[in-house]
Amino acid sequence: MVVRELQAPVGTGDAAGVSPEYVRISMASAIALRMHSGRFSRDFDFGGINVLLNYQEACRSDCGYCGLARERPGGHADRSFIRVEWPLVRTDELVTRLARFEPALTRLCISMVTHGLAYRDTCDITRRITARIGTPISVLVAPPTIKRERLENLKTLGVDMIGVGLDAVTEDLFWRIRTDVAAGGLSWDKYWEVIGDAREIFGPWKVNIHTLVGLGETDKDLLALFVALRDRQIFSYLFCFNPEPDSRLAAWPQPPLARWHRVQLARHLIEARGFGLEQFDFDDEGRIARIRAARSVLDAVVAEGTAFMTDGCPSGNGGPGCTRPYGSYRPAEPFRDYPFAPTPGDLEGIRRLLGLDDLIN
Amino acid sequence: MEMAGWAFVAGFPLALDRRYEAETHMWVLVTEPGRARIGMDPVGIETSGTLAQLSFAPVGTELAVGRPFGQLEAAKFVGPLVSPVSGVVLGVNDAVAANAGLAERDPYGAGWLIEAGLDESGGELAGLLADPAEITAWFTTKIARYRLEGVIAQ
Repeated sequence: MVVRELQAPVGTGDAAGVSPEYVRISMASAIALRMHSGRFSRDFDFGGINVLLNYQEACRSDCGYCGLARERPGGHADRSFIRVEWPLVRTDELVTRLARFEPALTRLCISMVTHGLAYRDTCDITRRITARIGTPISVLVAPPTIKRERLENLKTLGVDMIGVGLDAVTEDLFWRIRTDVAAGGLSWDKYWEVIGDAREIFGPWKVNIHTLVGLGETDKDLLALFVALRDRQIFSYLFCFNPEPDSRLAAWPQPPLARWHRVQLARHLIEARGFGLEQFDFDDEGRIARIRAARSVLDAVVAEGTAFMTDGCPSGNGGPGCTRPYGSYRPAEPFRDYPFAPTPGDLEGIRRLLGLDDLIN
Repeated sequence: MEMAGWAFVAGFPLALDRRYEAETHMWVLVTEPGRARIGMDPVGIETSGTLAQLSFAPVGTELAVGRPFGQLEAAKFVGPLVSPVSGVVLGVNDAVAANAGLAERDPYGAGWLIEAGLDESGGELAGLLADPAEITAWFTTKIARYRLEGVIAQ
């Protein structure tokens, strides 16, 4: 399968093109704000704007699966992130657009990268946004750049939710993919220190942890983390591994769709229905083998569809805020998470893949 | 800027030497009797978003008006390439299949999609837009509509 080289970003601007004067925004955000032409395959309301800090040196971390990894070949401007182009725009132009489209916006998220100026610039950009619009703001923090006082300051600036991209869900996996790599060095303990501080400062259900399915963890690893986070009133957000071309894990396969949907279902049962780890049986490989629940309960959860929608920070009224359309798959591939309520046809396909008969008996 | 056989509408080039299917933005250029080259105009491409991949039915596949002969995949969109004519696929543009950006850069030239042997028994060509004034008016109206819909950057 051939994917063409990405073209120059929307705004090329001055030579530097770096934050805080410039940021990258997701392609879906660029389309929604009419900064880039295009459309979505299915028509739905989209208002979750994702903003990414931009530096010449990209991210100073070197995570094996990430498009922004320091050691990934190619210049930063040529790099995709989550497999698509992230247009570069002037921050002030973005803020003007945000103000223009504010009624349609549901959530803003500023993603830091590991860089010495990232915290300073995140504060600067947050100030520029909150001065003009009231849409709720999350920050996906880069733990190496964060300490407790900085989290407190982000809250003071108007940030209402904090995300942490843990991604690798066990300490061993984290070490192998994010620490013990060419320019790695990320610390599992530091990540959990930031998670703990964020939970204390921002409160219950105001912190979220990004978990990436398909890096080599077991279902049991994932579910154990979901339970632990739920017990601390911290959201777990699911992301599906999607190999980034030229990254160290470019040849690593995506998790099978059936496994992905089972993990989505289990996460939902844990977070929304209070299930414990003891309500799941696992096989010798740590895969979900059985769910100890009435068939009627599982049927109802599947029929509702929420379990299979993108989980992200909510909008101001509690509805879906950040929906990341096609964030973990290409438009020509089956949906992994749905940025809208799945249709009866979608749910029929999910039901087939889940194999509930096998999970109950 | 004026060039013979061309119009420029809201910044988009419009080739006036060929026929257009009004809904799908496919153009048809008859290259010899019974044979035509088919492509997509720049507005059809632009409103799809950044192209990721174009794929086509193999040579020999029967074409029917309104039926897909391939697929367009963009950053956030996937949809069928719909045939404006009936006939048979005589050739596909391997270069554009390998590099979809070619259709963005040169939609009327090197970015053509397929070559078709035409079945002209139904007089389908006559149903396509062919008059330069009509084509220009249609193109202008479509761009205005797409701007309203928000699928063209502003």
